[in-house]
Order: sequence, then C-alpha cells, then structure tokens
Amino acid sequence: MTASPSATPLLEARALSFHRQDEPVFGPLDFRLEAGELTLIEGDNGSGKTTLMRILTGLLRPEEGELLWRGQPLSWDRCSGEVLFLGHQLGLKTELSPRENLAFAIGLYGQHNLARINEALTLVGLTGYEDEAVRKLSAGQKKRVALARLLLIPASLWLLDEPYANLDRTGIELVNRLLEAHIAQGGAALVTSHGAVQFHGGEPQRIRLHA
Amino acid sequence: MHELRRPSLGHACMAVLRRDLTLAWRQRGDMLLPVLYALIVTSLFPFALGPEDALLRRIAGGAVLVTVLLAMLLALDAMFRSDIEDGSLEQLMLAPQPLAVMMGMKILAHWLATAVPLIVIAPLLAGMLHLPAPVIPVLLLALLLATPLLSLFGGVLVALTAGTRRSGMLLALMLLPLCVPVVIFAAGALAAAQEGLPWIAPIAWLGAALVMAVVLAPLACAAALRIALDS
Repeated sequence: MTASPSATPLLEARALSFHRQDEPVFGPLDFRLEAGELTLIEGDNGSGKTTLMRILTGLLRPEEGELLWRGQPLSWDRCSGEVLFLGHQLGLKTELSPRENLAFAIGLYGQHNLARINEALTLVGLTGYEDEAVRKLSAGQKKRVALARLLLIPASLWLLDEPYANLDRTGIELVNRLLEAHIAQGGAALVTSHGAVQFHGGEPQRIRLHA
Repeated sequence: MHELRRPSLGHACMAVLRRDLTLAWRQRGDMLLPVLYALIVTSLFPFALGPEDALLRRIAGGAVLVTVLLAMLLALDAMFRSDIEDGSLEQLMLAPQPLAVMMGMKILAHWLATAVPLIVIAPLLAGMLHLPAPVIPVLLLALLLATPLLSLFGGVLVALTAGTRRSGMLLALMLLPLCVPVVIFAAGALAAAQEGLPWIAPIAWLGAALVMAVVLAPLACAAALRIALDS
C-alpha cells in the first residue's frame, strides 16, 4: 500500500524565501517532505505560515529559492490534482448545503473509489446537517464540511492551514485521526499550527518560522 | 497508492455550471435587480421625452440596447467577488482542470443568470417605446450577440481587477472603450432594419467578435486571475 521509497522526495524546498515590499516575510528555508511524512509548520501570528502555504500550493511565486515537486520545479499545473489545500477561507458556498458543496468539489477533483458523501459527512460528525445551508452552520461545523473533502478527494499531499482553528476537542481528534490515516496510507501532509498538536503516528518533522 | 477516479472535463464543466446556476437561483432576488432597473429606465423615457410616437419610435432600438447593456453592468463586478472572498476561486485554480475552461463556464453561467432574463423582457421594453414589430427579431439577435460579448469582456476585466479593492470604478472605466464598438454595431443593425435596409453586415461583425471573444477571453481571464491572486 505504501509508496515505494525513492531518492527524490515528494516536495523539496531549497533556500526558499519570500519578501513583501522588501520586508522579509520568512526564509531562507530548506526542507524535504517524503511520502508518508507529516510536517508541522510552527510560528507566531504574522510569521508567514499562510504565505508559505500559498507558495507551496503554487498560487504565490517565491522570490528566491527553489521548490521541487517530485524533483521537478513546482508549478500549479504540475502538482494540481495531487495537492489538496485547506486554507483559512474554506472554499464553501454558504448558500449551498454541505452535500452540494462536496458534490461540487468531487465534480472538480474526482473521488476516492469507495468514498461516499453521506459517509464522509457522518464521519466528520455532521449527521442531520447534510441538507442545511452552510450559512446556518457554526464556524466549527463549516470547518468540518471542509474537512470532509479530505475524506472524499484523492490527493497525495495535504496542505492544511490551521486545520484546528474553530474546532472543539472532538474536532481536533478528528483532524488527528484523518492525518494519521492519510500518513499510514503513504500520503504526506504539511500542517500549520500555533498550538500543540497531538500526533500518535511518530514524531513529526517541524519547521519553525520566525517573524 | 490511491484509487483515482478523475472527473472528465465535461463532468467538471457541468459541475461548475450547475453550482453557479443553483447559486443564482437561490439568490434570485439579485437576479431581478437588473430586470427591474431596465424596466424603470425604459418607462422613464416617454416621461422625459414626451409621448410622441415618431420620436420614441426613432430612439427605441438604441434606447433598449443601451438600457440592457447598462443593466448588465450592475451585476458585472460581482461576477467572481464571492468566489474570491470565500476561497472557492483558490479551490477552482488548484483543481486538476484547465482554468480557462472553468472560467468560461463561470462566465456562461453569469450570462445565463443576468443577460437571458434581460433578453426575455427586451420585446416588452421595445413595445413600451413603440419599436416597430418587424425590428424586434433584429433587436433580439443583436442582444443575443452583444450581451455575451459584454459578459466575456467583463469577465476578463473583473479578473484583472480582482486583487484591487473598490474595483467597480476601475472596471467601469476599462469597460467603456470595449462597449463602444459593441453598441455601434448593434445599433447600426437596428437602424438599418428600421429603415428597411439590409442589416446582416453589422450582425455578422458582432458574431465574428463573439467567436473571437469566446476563444480568447477565457484564456485571458484565467491568466489575469493567476496574476491577480499572486500578490
């Protein structure tokens, strides 16, 4: 089930740095991310965690340094479909129901062969809210709808920007469970957080950003 | 590692179209605003100019045309706004689908939701201004070609100004020079039809422009969005 070990990592950053109007945001950073590995990006507010995430998705271009995706320079068309991004903006339409939102995501990204929307919504604890408009849900429930995407859509790399924000204790456990299952299947994940993360599948790699 | 089941391009196009049309239907109050605006403007013309048949008949074609295009402008700057604000656009950009085609679908959905209701009421507007009945088919044809052109131009410009705050003003300024040729050709066809002259040439020009825009505008729109969000 696990990906075969290879010399080229899934994602590699070499001397990556970013400036905004000549103000350094972060960097230079070096890290490697292999399949089956979890990496935590830690840092205070304003230390550039979200900026780094947007660079890793390919939405933002880094000013200096190199980003390699499977040994090739990263660009949005090369890694699209293998990367799943969960940002601060959840990408949910508030006028649509969780079920409609997920059906749309599947229509764009594809679907695990065995995954079903109903089961995913049950797993993230949204039974009974499947057809409620997302705008009527609480912030934590909205987050759970977005998390259901992780169950449905196939991707080898998860980029999760503050996945624990707005979640209660069971929600935090849910994220940890999802991450463990993803890593166990040979997937990789990068997670930003400024809080403590309980991860049971071994000690994750940590990248520390300084403001 | 994963069992992949990638959606086909057609499936993804339908997903975008269905979602945007569902959203438009859920917020159909917003859809009604341009229609109401067009009705109000048209009903004001006879009051402002006097209810003289001959005068109204002469300006009817142009007045309906300009009213419909202006009514479309009302909804134009909202084309991608909510998608940028709630992060849907990022999800669209990261999807394993060609962004230009997806943006083309979004523009199509926007046209269906805003321009088609206006085209539907256009005969009513024309009747209010005593446009001769034989000219009405030409008016509808001109609108069917001119409104998608405006949607496509608007899509590119909205994408260009996506990163800027209060882009409405900028959008209007940039759209004006693009509107002018559309209005000239559409109005030319109407004037010719009203005088009983052949009107096919300006309509053919509009059609040619539309074919070009359908091909090029989504590409420009996608490129502009990548630039706008890269900041």
